[in-house]
Amino acid sequence: MTGRTADPVLVEIVEGTLASVEKEVETAIARTARSPMIRDAHDFRAGIHDVRMRKLTGRSYSALVQPVVRDFPIETMRPGDVFFHNDVYLSEGGIGHLPDLCVTVPVFHGGEVVAFVQAFGHHDDIGGAVPGSMPSHARSAYEEGLMVPPIKLWDQGVPNRAALTIMTRNSRMPDSLAGDLDAECSACLMGARRLGELFDRYGREAVEACFDAIIDKTTETFRRELLSKIPEGVYVWEDYAEHDGVDEPRLHAQRITLTVDHSADPPLTIDFTGTSPQAKGPINHAGDYADGVFLKKWLAPILRNLADTPERMAELDVNEGVVPLTKMVFPEKGTLLTPIFPAPTNARTFVILRLLGVLAGVLAKATGGRMPADQETIRYTGVYGESDDGPYLMREVLGGGSGGRWYADGEDTIHVVPDSRNIPVEFAEARWPLRVERLGLAVDSGGPGEFRGGLGYDKHIRMLRDASFMSIADRSILSCWGVNGGRAGRPFQVTVDGVEMEGLVDDYPVRAGQVIRIRTTGGGGWGSPYDRPAEKVAADVRDGKVTFEGAREDYGVVLTGTRDDVVIDVEATERLRERLRETRPAAFFDRGPGFPKLSGGLTYAEVDTV
Amino acid sequence: MRIGVDTGGTFTDVVLVDEESGRIVTTKTPSTPDNPADGFMAGVHKALEAHAGSHALDAVSALVHGTTVATNQLLEDRQDGTSHLGFITTEGFEFVLEIARQSVPDGYGNSYFWVKPPRIVPVHRVRTVGGRLDHLGREVRPFDEEQAVAAARWFRERGITAIGVCFLHSYANPGHERRMREVLEREHPEAVVSLSSDVLREYREYERSVTTLVDAAVKPTMRRYIENLSERLGRPFSVMKSNGGVLSAAEVVHQPITTVLSGPAAGALGAALIASTAGRPSVITLDGGGTSTDVAVVVDGEPSLTTEGSIGRYPCKIPMIDIVTVGAGGGSIAWISPEGTLKVGPRSAGADPGPICYGKGGAEVTVTDAHVFLGRVPPHLLGGEIALDVAAARAGVEELAGRLGLTPERCATGILEISAFNQSNAIRRITVQRGLDVRDFPLVAFGGSGPLLACRLIDILGLRAAIVPPDPGNVSAFGLLTVDVKNDYVRTYVARDPSPAVVGEILGELEAQAAAALDREGFAEHVYARSADLRYYGQAYEVRVPAPDGPVDEAWLAAVAERFHAEHERLYGYGYRDDPRHAVEWVNLRVSGIGPITRPKIARRPRQEDEPSPVATRDVFFERWARTVIYRRADLGAGAVVRGPAVIEEYGSTLPVHPGFTATMDDYGNLVVVSDDR
Repeated sequence: MTGRTADPVLVEIVEGTLASVEKEVETAIARTARSPMIRDAHDFRAGIHDVRMRKLTGRSYSALVQPVVRDFPIETMRPGDVFFHNDVYLSEGGIGHLPDLCVTVPVFHGGEVVAFVQAFGHHDDIGGAVPGSMPSHARSAYEEGLMVPPIKLWDQGVPNRAALTIMTRNSRMPDSLAGDLDAECSACLMGARRLGELFDRYGREAVEACFDAIIDKTTETFRRELLSKIPEGVYVWEDYAEHDGVDEPRLHAQRITLTVDHSADPPLTIDFTGTSPQAKGPINHAGDYADGVFLKKWLAPILRNLADTPERMAELDVNEGVVPLTKMVFPEKGTLLTPIFPAPTNARTFVILRLLGVLAGVLAKATGGRMPADQETIRYTGVYGESDDGPYLMREVLGGGSGGRWYADGEDTIHVVPDSRNIPVEFAEARWPLRVERLGLAVDSGGPGEFRGGLGYDKHIRMLRDASFMSIADRSILSCWGVNGGRAGRPFQVTVDGVEMEGLVDDYPVRAGQVIRIRTTGGGGWGSPYDRPAEKVAADVRDGKVTFEGAREDYGVVLTGTRDDVVIDVEATERLRERLRETRPAAFFDRGPGFPKLSGGLTYAEVDTV
Repeated sequence: MRIGVDTGGTFTDVVLVDEESGRIVTTKTPSTPDNPADGFMAGVHKALEAHAGSHALDAVSALVHGTTVATNQLLEDRQDGTSHLGFITTEGFEFVLEIARQSVPDGYGNSYFWVKPPRIVPVHRVRTVGGRLDHLGREVRPFDEEQAVAAARWFRERGITAIGVCFLHSYANPGHERRMREVLEREHPEAVVSLSSDVLREYREYERSVTTLVDAAVKPTMRRYIENLSERLGRPFSVMKSNGGVLSAAEVVHQPITTVLSGPAAGALGAALIASTAGRPSVITLDGGGTSTDVAVVVDGEPSLTTEGSIGRYPCKIPMIDIVTVGAGGGSIAWISPEGTLKVGPRSAGADPGPICYGKGGAEVTVTDAHVFLGRVPPHLLGGEIALDVAAARAGVEELAGRLGLTPERCATGILEISAFNQSNAIRRITVQRGLDVRDFPLVAFGGSGPLLACRLIDILGLRAAIVPPDPGNVSAFGLLTVDVKNDYVRTYVARDPSPAVVGEILGELEAQAAAALDREGFAEHVYARSADLRYYGQAYEVRVPAPDGPVDEAWLAAVAERFHAEHERLYGYGYRDDPRHAVEWVNLRVSGIGPITRPKIARRPRQEDEPSPVATRDVFFERWARTVIYRRADLGAGAVVRGPAVIEEYGSTLPVHPGFTATMDDYGNLVVVSDDR
């Protein structure tokens, strides 16, 4: 707490203004950007930070201002300056891979910097070994594209043409790169003007008092409503990435030891010791900078699942106020989370997305299962080649099913990134030489449970010309885990004309007329599938989400008739379920049939029991 | 004589204009949700009675109706809202509604706890039919008649009678959808059918599907309602559309989706005409009601349109007046968040139980209670018809203030300040996000609660002026009498190197469609307004620009492209006019067919000869408690000047004039409020 007291009315006004400025900046970027990753997948974020580099807005994660201030002291900044960086190892942990280009604009009031507006977005291509700058077999950051440490992209309103020319020259898609940068810079400058007006109106002292209040409020709310739900103790869990693009598939562990002590300051300690050595391939995440401040804000949204209702979870903001609640302990240099430059990082989503699940799992152990089962909702699939318009890259982020929850089934085909959108078929077919023959749900892919996991996609793409297929996906061997008796969902699977692909593919030839079939992951199930009401299983069969066989084998529900007229055989169901219940699951988590293939035959990990 | 009838949730407002005498009669009756036609007829009779002393409709030249009958069915999530609805789509795409755009709203990490709301049609009422077109409308696989028949019979057997049809790429070629309709007519003649190629001939299959299904969902209700009303009236009438035009009731039943947001659209149009008459063609309109506030922008007399609206949670991509709605109205409830800060809305006490001061069991402090406590509104409603319980409002505010550790006055002014900020953020969203500077636009504030915060909005947004029209509660009904007949037609044509011949041909076809509809409506004079949606190649969103009349040639194409560059620059701060690396891509061509009507004349107000004299004084809190003068609006004439602090009251609405502000009545009876500092 600080000495300044904030007027509760002004706090509400300042908070509303920050949210609306952030939204305006993001809307402006979404509407004018070119890269499909930004435009459709919404893989970009705006953030507003105060002059102490604390994140003020609560809807999303964002990069950090720390690396800019490190290299350009605040007192040297001038109105009209725009800073730029994408260099992972010089980003203080705020940037995970090179295609995320970050723009930072200082906000001035009375001649002094009072805040920052920042945006980063995932651009099409920033050079490197393969189109799209995500070489899945990279062994070094030098293969991943152009690294730009913090630079002044605009100097007092004057764009640095040399820097822009160098960047666009290094990209396979220079026009879209230039367009995306214009979109980001214009939007941040607009946001900075709006924020400047707020300071002009109420004065620096009053506004900064509100910033303190907004941040303190989050700290207190998390402590009161969320942390209080976790019993004190020490809890350990780990999960795995299955391949790194270089070595044969194996278990790349990410481990969290969570210590909860409500009277300690901070009350939570997250210790990553036990995390596997850094990978040769690009799945590393440079997280051990600035006391892990990026990861603290990245992981905190998982805590929201501890709130009393889903409605309340949605109301809780994540801003710098979560940082004082957590201490992070990193293992020595040279692990997946503490890689040594120039270890490659372009597929670090494998690690940072998995960390969300590791925290969810460790909290599930701590709370007797009152957390959602696993989801995996980011992977990149695409095709590239030549069309009448020249070379093209069609790369999309297809979501997956979310995990079952103690109050609801998981949802089908959703994405962890807010507002991330799939590409309309009618747009895709007009733009690229392909035809989508089916866009459906992958039947039986949802993890069986009292609350079933959501389903993944089942997408069939027929190429109309020869092309190359690419994919960057984890969870093609291991599954999204089920919890509390719930079973794992089905993993990611791609076939090209019936030939099964691995998860990491840079360049697989597809002939005109051949069909690429993509099935994305189903979410894990929550609770025993034998406790799911038979009527709900019958409805899933009617809807094409579960097959008759799946109903019998996964849920112990015996159905007859047709999908239009499903009939429950009540007696047979009772008999079957009675028998199936005798075979209790051995562990608290179910990782699916892929786990023994990588674990040397173990059906569950040592940390999987409670 | 022309009559406008606006059926709202609580009241049915009626405005009658006698074109010969210029006389305007306004009245209100309670709405009758069980059968809205009852309230409609009662209101019309009441207005006629007041004007001519008889119920005869003979002298009425036009009757225009704004209604939310269709919308409420969807907005209220009623069980009967969509249970009669089925969907037919392309084989392989039965999950298009479940998948939607895969997006989870709002915050990062919400995917863990978000619960997807029910789809407009659950997947077990979706059937698919084989047959496939490509993006140019060429047939890849023929239409599967057998599956079509099976689907039609499946719906018939289950008594599903409203059916939406959306096949892939039907915007480019409606052939397969039309064959599906023929099959349905033959196999399932009771069904009402909506084809996506009729409703919205624009690409993006999910949005087109939902838009088509909204049309199909409201069709049976609208048909029943319109038939019932036509019978009781015994004469034709028109219905207001969301795009700011009207259409005869007989035509509306074929495209009911075009009427779904007609109420707010009428308000924006009415305010636009009132402001234009007073010499202000470009304004922001703010319609403040009990539960929410609707904001729109009018540029050069025309409210701006959008095709990215939604009805409740259903995206509807038909052209509609661009209105931003915020949950900030007189009934919005003030509450303390678990974090201990003061919040206002979006929950509303509505009309029942209503604010504490209504004395109908409301126990939570509302925006109205704050106004009442501060003395800014009179202790009664509707000119004294309903008394308000000031003591109860005060007790409520004091209790809330105690919990916040504030004085009651600071608490009440804080509630109003937050409410004003919620409204001003809505105004910003509709101006700043569209590249407009809010300070260039005076605000027209109307509706029951619209004028109450006018002075605060001037201050917060730096506005030049706020205009409060006479009878602020009846602006929407008045707006119904100001609109032309208007139909919109669109065709997707994606091209970076468009052929003038093809563009000309498409526009010609659209104009022929527009002409046929205007002929059916009996218009001799036709106006066609062309527009086009363009983007830079690679962008996912288009920018709409007006397109010139006349033959389409290279110069015509260049003129439209030039407008696009300029508009992009205005909206987003940059463009690529002379940069060949950034190609311009054409996406949609549009034509609006307009049948113009004669707009009502707004009468001039007699001049004020003497100083206006207040009718009373009352203790009012602005910056402190002070005995404050109260004026009756009916006593004021053109040129009358009221300096704050003061309160101007009229039937159904109140304007508090804060210290440092001045209200002047203009020649048309509008009160123009300005800050003395500007």
